[in-house]
Amino acid sequence: MAMLPILSRFQYDAHILAVEVDTDFTMDQVAAACAEHCINHHVKDQPGKRLRVRRTTEDDSAEPLPPEMTVAEAGLQMYDCLDIYFEG
Amino acid sequence: MALLDRSEWYDIARETNWTPSFVAESELFPDEMSDPYDVPVEAWETFDEPYKISYRQYVNIQREKDAAAYSVKAALSRQRFYESADVGYLNLIKMHYAAIALSEYAACHSDARMTRFGRAPGMRNMATFGMLDEMRHGQIQLWFPHELVGNDRQFDWAHEAHHSKNWAILAARHSLDDVMMSRDANTTAMMLNFAFEVGLTNIQMIGLANDAANMGDYTFQNLITSIQSDEARHAQIGVPVIEIMIENGKKAEAQYAVDVAFWRIWRIFAIAVGVPMDYYIPLEKRERSFKEYMHEFVITQYERQLRDVGLDRPWYWDLFLDDIENHHHCQQGGIWSWRETVWWHPVGAVSPPEREWLEEKYPGWNETYGYYWDVIIDQLVKDREEMTHQNCMPICCNVCQFPISNRPGPVWKARVHQTDHEGRRYNFCTPVCKWVFESDVERYAGNETIVDRMYNGTIQPQTLDAVLKYMGIGVISEGGRDGHDYRWADPYRPVADAAE
Repeated sequence: MAMLPILSRFQYDAHILAVEVDTDFTMDQVAAACAEHCINHHVKDQPGKRLRVRRTTEDDSAEPLPPEMTVAEAGLQMYDCLDIYFEG
Repeated sequence: MALLDRSEWYDIARETNWTPSFVAESELFPDEMSDPYDVPVEAWETFDEPYKISYRQYVNIQREKDAAAYSVKAALSRQRFYESADVGYLNLIKMHYAAIALSEYAACHSDARMTRFGRAPGMRNMATFGMLDEMRHGQIQLWFPHELVGNDRQFDWAHEAHHSKNWAILAARHSLDDVMMSRDANTTAMMLNFAFEVGLTNIQMIGLANDAANMGDYTFQNLITSIQSDEARHAQIGVPVIEIMIENGKKAEAQYAVDVAFWRIWRIFAIAVGVPMDYYIPLEKRERSFKEYMHEFVITQYERQLRDVGLDRPWYWDLFLDDIENHHHCQQGGIWSWRETVWWHPVGAVSPPEREWLEEKYPGWNETYGYYWDVIIDQLVKDREEMTHQNCMPICCNVCQFPISNRPGPVWKARVHQTDHEGRRYNFCTPVCKWVFESDVERYAGNETIVDRMYNGTIQPQTLDAVLKYMGIGVISEGGRDGHDYRWADPYRPVADAAE
């Protein structure tokens, strides 16, 4: 277990945030940690929709990471950028 | 005693190049300080000052300028303008003094380098006066805010900012160190005098003086006008340098220096000028938007200047045009959201009539930046002010140092550009800042933004309070709060109440 700063590219926000996550966090927990800094701060909540996490790519085409996959299992490194986006 | 006319002695007096006999030429003018481009000294000796002046004339003119600026200040200080000025306008001058006063002093060193290491005697002449100009600008812009410190401690940043590690000053210092403080004499002339001064600040000062006059701040207007008249003269050092570079087959090198400097200074300029023009100047006092000002004054004249000296538009021109409509809107949101981190009191300035103006000037503003502010307004009208503060940091660009941002809302344009170098990841705001880094990795690698410093152990503990203290907030002065105590959000309340 160790804290790791990842970059949160949260759907609809203007800024990319540095968010510390635990290497044991699942992707759902990563999404929740990022949402805490964005939803109702700079991003409107979308009740009923689920937050998903994927690696940031040039064409936004990466598949979402499994919700139960941990940060360590995903092999995330310091300053890896993740898209946090609404699904559904 | 009759004096010769200046034109009868000037050329003879300036020819101060000689053949050294005690040291080698390369020791007297080392390449890394003088000219890494290997242009023959005979070519540099063709440098002809676009503006000639003698020391006697210079001193007389400068004395009159100082006397005028100081007498206006003395006469108007009794009017207590600053005690009743709108907080938005006060932000403008707080930002200006803190960012500029010691930058001018630093520029004195840049001109001193040209004075000592310039290969062209004419360049050394002009730079000598430029050096004295910058010393005057540093002193006068420290003296004027000094009298305001007693009323408002945030004005002390005029003196303290450049000695601090505040994120906004890290941004200014990183760019200025790059453009002014760490280059040889000729590159400095191209970057500082041409790209920075001719390209951006000379014209900026005309707009700034105009804004000050509109606000009734004649002290600041006179100060800026006085400084601008010096800038207009010494900014011209760069033009002959570029022309000589091109004549000697060094166009690519000149283009590179100018393009790097223009972009680097632009990224600060947009914050120092764009945010005040579109948000801090009260709506009824705004004459034009930042975008209109950029197109009318900067773009047209800079394109012409580039063409006149034989250079091309930068490769990133389209990205620059887009940045004019984006960068300062994003940073206005960021500065306001992280307002505790700055030394002024940011104003939201997005009341309904202000948004109407922004939408008119920047079509699409409401769907993008407006989306961002809608979330903030929603929290304010629900009396959840605490939600309008942030408790984590935005990642900052390893070149310009600004929070990496882009258009919010459904278009969702925010994107980080990254590169890995020697086991470390660097983050950039745009392809241009990434290009700057990759074009000279040795120069830029190792940079630590304020966020990097949180994670490399420089700032302990890793909390927002520790970061604030590290940046001088609560040490030099209090940090920012909403400058209008959220009154700009009041018009939204009845609508919200009715909806509930």
